[in-house]
Amino acid sequence: MPIWGWPMTEILFFFEVVLAGLLAGTMYSLVALGFVLIYKASATFNFAQGAMVFFAVLSFVGFMELGLPFVLAFLVTILLMIAVGYATERLVIEPLTGQSEDTMLMATIGLAFVLQGLAQAVWGVEVRRLDLGIPDFPIPWLADNLGIFVSALDVTAGVVAGVLIIVLSLLFRFTKMGLGLRAVADDPGAAASIGIPLKNIMLLVWSTAGIVALVTGMMWGARAGVQFALVDLALKALPVLIIGGFSSIPGAIVGGLIIGVVEKTLEVYVGPYFGGGIEGWAPYVLAILFLLWRPEGLFGEKIIRRV
Amino acid sequence: MNATADNILTIDAIEVVYDNVIAALHDVSLVVPRGKIVALLGGNGAGKSTTLKSVSTMLGSERGKVTQGTITYDGTAVRDQTPSDMVGLGMVQVLEGRRCFGHLTVEENIIAGAFSRKLSKGDMHAELDRIYGYFKRLKDRRKSQAGYTSGGEQQMTAVARAMMAKPKMLLLDEPSMGLAPQLVAEIFNIVQELNQQEGVSILLAEQNTNVALRNADYGYIIESGHAVMEGNARDLLEDDKIKEFYLGISKEGRKNFRDVLRKESETHADLHHH
Repeated sequence: MPIWGWPMTEILFFFEVVLAGLLAGTMYSLVALGFVLIYKASATFNFAQGAMVFFAVLSFVGFMELGLPFVLAFLVTILLMIAVGYATERLVIEPLTGQSEDTMLMATIGLAFVLQGLAQAVWGVEVRRLDLGIPDFPIPWLADNLGIFVSALDVTAGVVAGVLIIVLSLLFRFTKMGLGLRAVADDPGAAASIGIPLKNIMLLVWSTAGIVALVTGMMWGARAGVQFALVDLALKALPVLIIGGFSSIPGAIVGGLIIGVVEKTLEVYVGPYFGGGIEGWAPYVLAILFLLWRPEGLFGEKIIRRV
Repeated sequence: MNATADNILTIDAIEVVYDNVIAALHDVSLVVPRGKIVALLGGNGAGKSTTLKSVSTMLGSERGKVTQGTITYDGTAVRDQTPSDMVGLGMVQVLEGRRCFGHLTVEENIIAGAFSRKLSKGDMHAELDRIYGYFKRLKDRRKSQAGYTSGGEQQMTAVARAMMAKPKMLLLDEPSMGLAPQLVAEIFNIVQELNQQEGVSILLAEQNTNVALRNADYGYIIESGHAVMEGNARDLLEDDKIKEFYLGISKEGRKNFRDVLRKESETHADLHHH
């Protein structure tokens, strides 16, 4: 039964591609969320977010190898990431308070190298397998009944990312600490003047970013192996943030989905004309177009300025 | 000023240095009696903001430091406290330039002011009602994004936000800045009400000498980091030197107003604009 001259199988295939893109996109959303958190609170582009993803999941796998059960390893890694967040805040961010954004960026680049080196020094450099017990095969029910082939792992990752994003958004919107965070994001000096403790907020932000990094790393690691390449993969968040806006949580989500869908559909339908492999760079081209059209991103907070 | 009075704030001969080298204050002493409004007057760069930030300990984030002298607030020596410690002790500074959280609503701004307090939902509503009682204009604007409200509304939001911390003492830095005279009067009326009904003591830094002295009990004048003159607000308003130098009124009336204006525009030429 063709529609507009397209055979049904082609249409189903198109849906599969879009769905795969959306699911991949949630992963980009997740890593972008880590960036947005820190950007909002300290106006710093945290270059170390990718290293945190790597550090977190490598430690998680390491704890599992030491014999800790899954849940315990997960909890221990969360504590570790909170400790990393605390150390980062006390040793790097706090001493540099009041310095320029460039200084902060350089500091996070340094932090990235420290975290990568530390993770590899402790846990070794070889690629690890992470088995979450979720098969990376098409879900049989969907395949049999609808003829759509999507991996159970992709669906799980998408759901986990979605739930995490929703929970965090609700916390920021409706809790006292969330209000404090948004106040600090807006004007740290004014926030301090009314008694919002900047240190606690920064600690909260870095810890949350660390937990988000762990979840991101687990999802990606399960798919592609726990390896150094995760650090580079995390930089895909850059085009996501340019499209969505650096300061917007909804922007990170939508930006990630857009990047996921665009790169997958382009790869499948346009890729062959370029000899394939365009999903590696297509997102950056899209980001450049956005920079020309809408530099603050789709959802980025416009700078409010009254004269 | 009467040394035996119950002073909520005593600043004794402080010197403040920025970046370890630039001295901003040389020798400033002042007291704020409990429940009074004290005006701190002087031109741009005289050291008014620096004095307030020394007290609220907001200096630290600007690489400034009190290097000599002492500050005593409500029986506590102000030394290594953080701004949130000071808020906990009941002192809140309303920063120069209002500094509302532009992307938050007016009401979210005000609620954020109560961050240091543990309030139940019901208490929060009661507190909001109490504050809106003073700032009636803000109640209608409470759902608006603060960044898009008028300058007067932003100044009111900033003061309302500070009042939510239930302060014993407010430090107000240039509340009249950039506002039309009508709005300045409205804001100072509210400040008077807060002072009388809530009993909050106020240290007010102002360039608008006339308005400040009309609303204050006592005044200090500082110039290039030195306290140069002090007195009851009413006496200062009548003082010839003040009239001439700060109010632009000489014995012959307001004839030299233009000269003063010209003088002012010269001294303001190096003002940085945001």
